Amino acid sequence: MVNQPVSVRRLVTEPAACCVCGSRDSEPVGAGPDFEYRTSPDSFLAVRCQHCDVVYLDRRPIAAEFARIYPDHYHAFAFTEDRFGVVYSVRRRLEARRLLRTFRDLPPAARVIDVGCGDGFHLDLLQEFGPPGWLLEGVDLDDRAIAAARRRGLLVHRGRVEELDLPPDSFDAAILIQTIEHLADPLVVLRAVRRILRPGGSLLLVTDNTDSLDFALAKRRHWGGYHFPRHWYLFNPTSLAKLAAAADLEIASLDTMMSPVNWVYSARNALQDWGAPNRVVDRLSLESPVALALGTIWDTGHQLAGRGALLRATLRRPR
Amino acid sequence: MSQPPVYVLGAGFAGLAAAAELAALGVPATVLEAQATVGGLATSYERDGVHFDLGAHFVTNRLATALGVMDQCETLDRYGEAVWLDGRSAAYPFGLMGRPRFSASALAGRLRTARPASTAADSFRATYGDALAREVANPLVESWSGRPADELAPSVVDKIPGGLVATVALTAARRLTRRPVAIGYCNEAPQSMNVWHVYPRRGLGVFTDALAGRVESIRFETPIECIHVEHDRVVGVRIHGTDHPASGVISTLPAPTLARVLDHPVIAPLAHLRYRPMVFAMLHVRGRGLLPEPVTWFPDPALPFFRVTETAMAMPWIAPPDETLLTVDFGAAIGDAIWTASDSELAARAFSGLRDLIPDLSGRHLATHVTRTPIAYPVFALETEDARLAISRHGIEGLVSAGRNAEFGHYLMEDVYWRTLRSTRALARYVAG
Repeated sequence: MVNQPVSVRRLVTEPAACCVCGSRDSEPVGAGPDFEYRTSPDSFLAVRCQHCDVVYLDRRPIAAEFARIYPDHYHAFAFTEDRFGVVYSVRRRLEARRLLRTFRDLPPAARVIDVGCGDGFHLDLLQEFGPPGWLLEGVDLDDRAIAAARRRGLLVHRGRVEELDLPPDSFDAAILIQTIEHLADPLVVLRAVRRILRPGGSLLLVTDNTDSLDFALAKRRHWGGYHFPRHWYLFNPTSLAKLAAAADLEIASLDTMMSPVNWVYSARNALQDWGAPNRVVDRLSLESPVALALGTIWDTGHQLAGRGALLRATLRRPR
Repeated sequence: MSQPPVYVLGAGFAGLAAAAELAALGVPATVLEAQATVGGLATSYERDGVHFDLGAHFVTNRLATALGVMDQCETLDRYGEAVWLDGRSAAYPFGLMGRPRFSASALAGRLRTARPASTAADSFRATYGDALAREVANPLVESWSGRPADELAPSVVDKIPGGLVATVALTAARRLTRRPVAIGYCNEAPQSMNVWHVYPRRGLGVFTDALAGRVESIRFETPIECIHVEHDRVVGVRIHGTDHPASGVISTLPAPTLARVLDHPVIAPLAHLRYRPMVFAMLHVRGRGLLPEPVTWFPDPALPFFRVTETAMAMPWIAPPDETLLTVDFGAAIGDAIWTASDSELAARAFSGLRDLIPDLSGRHLATHVTRTPIAYPVFALETEDARLAISRHGIEGLVSAGRNAEFGHYLMEDVYWRTLRSTRALARYVAG
């Protein structure tokens, strides 16, 4: 990825506001380019809402730029066994265990929806390791992702959950795993999810954690969780609780989860930015089991201290 | 009935930043500009292959990012400041502190019991010690402002940020990142190793053009005639002899000019605020790296100028190879010998003042371009300190005075931006009720 040329055309952007309170009362936090995919020559500004603590992109690409900021080799479309090898199989097992633990109380014929399902990675795990009676559905916007998910035999709705005509009060569980940070309006989406959940139904939400040491260290520029310009809203426990309250969802649990990814990318982005040789930078990638193993050990320590790299919340529609 | 617009007075950097933010907030706004173009003090032009800005400004990657023009900016080759003292140059700050009499007096100054400073001279003594205050800080502030340091308010020192630890750490970060990390150039947003000096390849016009592209409505050749205030609340403006209702006004007019268009007892004292006029002589000369650092200060009261900037040392792309530009800053008063001096007289004064540093300067000389600015630097005079504070504490609802001259502060460009956004957002909250 390091050697890819930087695209020369600037992205068309539009201003954003805090997704919880709607204001632009913010302070600058960090600025940086698309370190990972180099899809444009722009630099992007992350700001923090002074009322809600939400970190967001001050200006973000307009919808018409999606095909550019999510190129064909984007990992959500191309996280495959032949490209990622041992990392792929380890991650599958880990994620399957986590998911099934979260959903252990679901009934045998539960209906589950994955909002922002991408290539169907998580639904596929539930399909393979979960009870056979679960009805699994996905929602995504991107044709490439939908095609990949359908190849796995999954039922995927094309569109936005707030615009699709999904039946209200009908799902036992929903998942938004590393999705909410990509959304233009997280609050509208959470409200739409609340509507289709049955009363008491639960939503598993996983997203990058801005209350983490890697954010504190790298927030001025290199933080992996910025994923410039694709992560539009980023949360800590406080701001996520405010978002949930605004969507009228109860918090059943809110804790953090270990992930090596942001550490690896923060370090990689910094080294690349400061002109380290490619052979050093290339050691730090999602395709490198060594970097991920070290990142895993390192972040496990942080997770035990309650400051893991990812936030994991189980939200519940009130009965 | 739809809400009347907010009027933004002036299409310079601050006015356009305010109007762009109002657009982002969905607040209807109209910019009124007296001239026929945008830019104000942040305008660029080119002559003989050299790019000039009406004023060179300090710009960081963070500001360029906020404006969406980072792709049109280059990182400066280097940035540093030096002080020319006793025929030698000392880098700021460590070179100065390396001179024993300055470090000893600074230490002694720190050890003295602090009492509140009542003048800039007191404040310099407390901050830098007697020797550094007497030989460097006082002479510089005096030729900059045209007033003795003991007639200036201590607030002039507020504009010099940064502690020793931060300065050491950021200096080290310059080596690690191989970038000219900004040290002491942002007060409004945090300094960090990831905030460094950049500059637009085509000059500052890139910034104002980018902002103008986000603004909905600009009316050129439309000076403000009057701001109407009723019951301490902005209600309208008069332009071309006609009154228009207004939800609010963001003025980037120089503070004393605001007092001319807004008749109100709390604004009236602003008329007493004074700026130091400046004459900038830009010497286009052969060579490069003629100064010890891109910005070099001359705290010698015998010299008619106090600062020389060699922008091409930091930004090589602004001039042809092996040519450079020395901008010599002369403090002046309207009508005095400096203000009325011809271009060649000013060049001669620069040659003579710089002869120890650049002995063959007159032989290198290609051309001189002179800019005279009646409104250059705010004079923080003790007797107008109350008037200055009235700018932010006027209490008139729907009125914001934003920008360098409107706030009467020596604010650098990035700070102007964040300050303007903050006051614009506050005004938008007021307009929304």
